[in-house]
Amino acid sequence: MHADAQLAGTRARAMVAAMDALLTVQALSRCFGRARALNGVDFQLRPGEVVGLLGPNGAGKTTCLRILAGLLAPGSGRVAVAGHDMVRAPQQAKRHIGYLPERPPLYPEMRVDEYLTHCARLRGVPAGARARAVARSLRRCGLQSAARRLLGRLSKGYRQRAGLAAALLHEPELVILDEPTDGLDPLQMREVRGLIADLAGRAAVLISSHALAEVQASCQRVLVLDRGRLLHDGPLAAPNALRLRLARAPEHAALTALAPVAAAEADAGAQHPGVYRVWLAAGTDAEQLAAAVVAAGWGLLELTPVRSDVERLFFRSVGLETAA
Amino acid sequence: MIGAIAARDWLAAFRTPVGWVLLAATQAILGYVLLKVLDAFTGPEPALRTAGLNLELTHNLYGTAAVVLLLVVPLLAARSLGGELRDGTWALLAGAPIPLASILLGKLAALALLLLPLCLLPLALGLLLLGAAPVDPGMLLAASFGLWLTGVLFGAVGLFAASLTAQPIAAAVAAYALLVLLSVVNRAQALGAPQLGVLDWIAWSQHLFWFLAGVVRLSDIVYFVGLTACFLALAHRRLENARLD
Repeated sequence: MHADAQLAGTRARAMVAAMDALLTVQALSRCFGRARALNGVDFQLRPGEVVGLLGPNGAGKTTCLRILAGLLAPGSGRVAVAGHDMVRAPQQAKRHIGYLPERPPLYPEMRVDEYLTHCARLRGVPAGARARAVARSLRRCGLQSAARRLLGRLSKGYRQRAGLAAALLHEPELVILDEPTDGLDPLQMREVRGLIADLAGRAAVLISSHALAEVQASCQRVLVLDRGRLLHDGPLAAPNALRLRLARAPEHAALTALAPVAAAEADAGAQHPGVYRVWLAAGTDAEQLAAAVVAAGWGLLELTPVRSDVERLFFRSVGLETAA
Repeated sequence: MIGAIAARDWLAAFRTPVGWVLLAATQAILGYVLLKVLDAFTGPEPALRTAGLNLELTHNLYGTAAVVLLLVVPLLAARSLGGELRDGTWALLAGAPIPLASILLGKLAALALLLLPLCLLPLALGLLLLGAAPVDPGMLLAASFGLWLTGVLFGAVGLFAASLTAQPIAAAVAAYALLVLLSVVNRAQALGAPQLGVLDWIAWSQHLFWFLAGVVRLSDIVYFVGLTACFLALAHRRLENARLD
């Protein structure tokens, strides 16, 4: 009886979570011939969330995104966007999505504003609202000065912006970006990241990337995909965590009492005592922590940035690190 | 939605040299054919032959135009659909909330619009003779209509071939193979079976022949519309299956 009640409670919680979710992916699998590109992938996206889909090349990221955008049919499993099943009601589901593939789908003979107007028609933006939607998208992506230029003559950065402008035209609730900064120079990368940051809160954003820094710069949560399997789904670790190894282990309270330390915990996985994970207080840095530890006379042996679980998982999945 | 897709494809044809080169080349070829036809009527006894002028005009001008369409339409269709698949712009259409059937109808509408001026070229050349010779405008109009329907059918065959592969060249070659087969399928006499009515009916040239003779028959219109719809349905099925492959 108690077990039944527990099961019912779990199901009810799952249903509530599914109802809250903008995107629900359940047991998604896909094969190409004998090759299995996706294998039982499950995750959800809530409105306004910015999530990174991380994985090495060939992990199945693009296949996953193409299924979510409705370009490929799932082999098995289910994809629902805003409650609409992508297989049963593709038109309704696609209305909520803005998708930018790895190679922006641009027609070189069209001008930027013509292209965006065409996209607005395809996306079902009403005739009266099209000009406004195009102007808004041009402004948001910094394309006003390039509005009358031919797409075929734009630089790579501007082409990426034009693709992004097209994906955002109809104010989608879910934006799917496949390697949005791939091939861009650092300045262009920063601009695209700025655009993504601008989107956060207004739309759920799913960004695929094989670059850790990219995901860490833009995302609140990360999914790690490798060989079609979802290895990790969780929030990104705080970036200011440090690993501290001391010769003479102090009292926990004495360590947390140091000015640069916001929080500290003993590293349970460490082989030696005196190893801690330390989070820095706002406005302080590693140099100040090192000085404080030395002044306290605890014998500073090591002070290194802590790599997040995501980073470890990623390097393990690309074969650069073995499972500990 | 069909209009949006058709308008973009049409714009692409005329913003690039494709549409203009096509019109100019067809005009040059048809102009030459017209002069050759008129040559036969400028001898010492032209009055004896004027009765055949309209038939000569339709058969030569429109027959040549049909051959031009046979050569050109598969390339245009391969560019229209195969080009999108190859260049990745298909993602824009397939990711938009529009049914696949609307995308294909839009592509076919663009081809039909592009072929319209091409089918009106022989009509314009024929009508140039009005006042100087007993030209039958009705007959020329019927032939233009038949030529346009033939071109639209070629377009549907080309779209089907383009749906088979993302390589435009391979798509065009496949379309040529299908169209040549549809052209010679009624040459059954060579196989020793002269009474193959169905094969005769399947060949597009048999139906175009009636239009060129100035006869607009409902059965011929049904043939062109039906076969066009059939190839569009095949293309639809192929693209739908491609999502599963």
